[in-house]
Amino acid sequence: MDVLYILNSLWVMIAAVLVIFMIGGFILLEVGSTRMKNAGHIAGKTIFTFGIASIVFWALGYGLIFGEGGNFFVGFSDFFYSGYEIEGIGLSTPTFFLFQLAFAGISLTIAFGGFVERAKLSPYLIFAVLYSILVYPVIAHWIWGGGWLSEHGKQDFAGSTVVHLTGAMAALAATIILKPRIGKFNKDGTANKIYGHNQVFTALGVLILWVGWFGFNAGSTLGVDGAFFGFVALNTNLAAGAGAVSALLISLAMDGKADIPTMLNGALAGLVSITASCAFVEPGAAILIGIIGGVIVYFSMIFFDKMKVDDPIYALSVHGVAGVWGTISTGFFATPELATVGLPGLFYGGGFTQLGVQIMGVFVSGLYAFVASYIILLVMNKALNRLRVTEEEEIIGFDVSEHGGYGYPEAFDSKDNNKSRF
Amino acid sequence: MVILKHLIQKTIISQGSKRMERESMDGHCKTYQDLKKYRDQHILEHVSSNDALNRFHDFILKNVFDIALRSIIDEFGSPPCGYTWFVMGSAGRFEQAVISDQDHGLIYENANHESKLFFEALGKEITTGLHFVGYPYCEGNIMSSNPKWCKSIEAWEHQIKTWMESDTWESIRYLLMFYDARAVVGNKEDVTVLKGIVCNYIDDHPEFLQRLMDNTMHLKKAIGIFGQFIVKNHGPYTGSIHLKDTCFFPYINVMRLLSIKEKIMETSTLVRLSHLLTFPRYDEALVTFEENFKKLLEYRMMNHEEKKEYDDFHYLKISLLTPEQKKELKRIIKDGKRFHQYVQCVIRKGC
Repeated sequence: MDVLYILNSLWVMIAAVLVIFMIGGFILLEVGSTRMKNAGHIAGKTIFTFGIASIVFWALGYGLIFGEGGNFFVGFSDFFYSGYEIEGIGLSTPTFFLFQLAFAGISLTIAFGGFVERAKLSPYLIFAVLYSILVYPVIAHWIWGGGWLSEHGKQDFAGSTVVHLTGAMAALAATIILKPRIGKFNKDGTANKIYGHNQVFTALGVLILWVGWFGFNAGSTLGVDGAFFGFVALNTNLAAGAGAVSALLISLAMDGKADIPTMLNGALAGLVSITASCAFVEPGAAILIGIIGGVIVYFSMIFFDKMKVDDPIYALSVHGVAGVWGTISTGFFATPELATVGLPGLFYGGGFTQLGVQIMGVFVSGLYAFVASYIILLVMNKALNRLRVTEEEEIIGFDVSEHGGYGYPEAFDSKDNNKSRF
Repeated sequence: MVILKHLIQKTIISQGSKRMERESMDGHCKTYQDLKKYRDQHILEHVSSNDALNRFHDFILKNVFDIALRSIIDEFGSPPCGYTWFVMGSAGRFEQAVISDQDHGLIYENANHESKLFFEALGKEITTGLHFVGYPYCEGNIMSSNPKWCKSIEAWEHQIKTWMESDTWESIRYLLMFYDARAVVGNKEDVTVLKGIVCNYIDDHPEFLQRLMDNTMHLKKAIGIFGQFIVKNHGPYTGSIHLKDTCFFPYINVMRLLSIKEKIMETSTLVRLSHLLTFPRYDEALVTFEENFKKLLEYRMMNHEEKKEYDDFHYLKISLLTPEQKKELKRIIKDGKRFHQYVQCVIRKGC
């Protein structure tokens, strides 16, 4: 068997595992950024929704994205993938399949960021299926599956738009329909901070995501030929670092204190920003893209609070706003040598053409993801007699109200119950 | 019977307040309920100046004390010895806002069990009474109800020496707090004598003054590197700066430290300043201090009619200021930082 084929497959397999392990990063990030009473629920829902995403992607998602025929929105073949090989892609098809499945799972996890600490359990089950059929595959088909945006040469190497912006738009629709958590906003419209219960979890979550991102971005080379994955990984790392530093400094400059959650979001914003452009830009530009991502995320967090949009884990800022910036950034910084898709950016003699394509792509993709998700959730809200838990359930916490247990039993159980366990 | 009680009370008061003239409400407010009603009805008539407002507060404080004392006399009989009730914090400095929390303590003359029982009960009663009338409890429990702040003069002397010798962050904080003590009822000299222990200790241990200074060196930032106000971006005070922490504290701390250095026993920041200015070496460095501090007191009173809670008086909403006021406030904040640096220089290097 061809050595390059095996190495390509092995590399993408490793990348797929890294991307799937990002689910662990999201668990820690989300649990750490929210309250103790919801910890078990948030950790658990992240696992089972990835399970749903996996099955739906196997049954329908892959075929809707990469299938032949179909229509403007999706492809229409290769459903219920049986593990066969496709000739000419240079690596094992099941490996490629698994890698793409992981992306779909990550996008869904981001979308569920907008549900956190408010939605009942059943909407997770239903929306996981509907998002994986009606929302994510459409954008992925448009940009990666040979759809109309790929024909325009839209640059989105690893999914600033496809994965992050799409997930964030669904999160925005969810957070609008679900409305803010109890106690988030005061009567005069000012926002309260609802502190996460464990910054160490959040930081560790960010680190796991950071490492997983090497699979996400560098793995998107889909091969080892020329060892280009190293260059992509370098850009990824630089942008993440730049985002962390710039977010820390902007919070220090604006608020007089270096806010840790803002810094962590800055690292993630750097990663999201570089996701589209990691293969198309030079390392210096990657740093600049990360810096801007880190600054944007700081102002975006404030903006959503002012708009009275409750974004508990900052999914809208980190994945949405930084996703927009990341996608547009290639329109400025893509170099002639690296722009293997589309054209060079504005600062590298490519004029406004690629910038225009990027902006159009972001706008249309974002709009579709938002409108489709909003309609789905609106219908679900009616059909399920509201998506949100009751006031009492929200106050006692999801671990009890939805699961009948506790993420931290010692912290909540009565002394008598504690005694009986020992 | 009523006349007898009145006579007993007069006697008690004369015991307790040998040097302070007592104000009276001619018996109109015999209960905390009456006093609270009176306070709520009349306090806004006294907001024209800091002095007027603080005279009114003192008046209320003294009457709370009277009611509390009457109640304890009913239970325990006459006070077993002389005593002094003092206030600290903003009340001690005669700088209370419309709503201020409690910071107070008791000193009694005789160190015996009977006195201890009487004055600890009195301390608890005063604290409860003040809370009822409208003075929130001190979160740090610096109140006469806490045995740490209710002691015989002998025990107080021991405690102050222990605080100085133990040299912990908490004990230094208590000492600084105590240096703002002002007698409201009783013998003013008791407080002065106790403060004198601190000054004498510094004569023997000059480095201790620096230790006191180190405890107050943290300055909360109010202006960012772009010259913007650093406002709260969350919670009910979004868009506001914490006036007390960011603006007042540098001025108050500077004046307290220089007063300890120069053995000035007054507590009001502006009175301390007037005493300090009798030393020619401070003339130049503190030239804008008085004007700035008076302005800060005015800013605190801005929109006082809309302020209902204790914390409301600590915050200033920046959007309510005119461009000139913003400029002026920034200058005051920067001056505060400069004064802060100056006092460090004076105490560290003697410049």
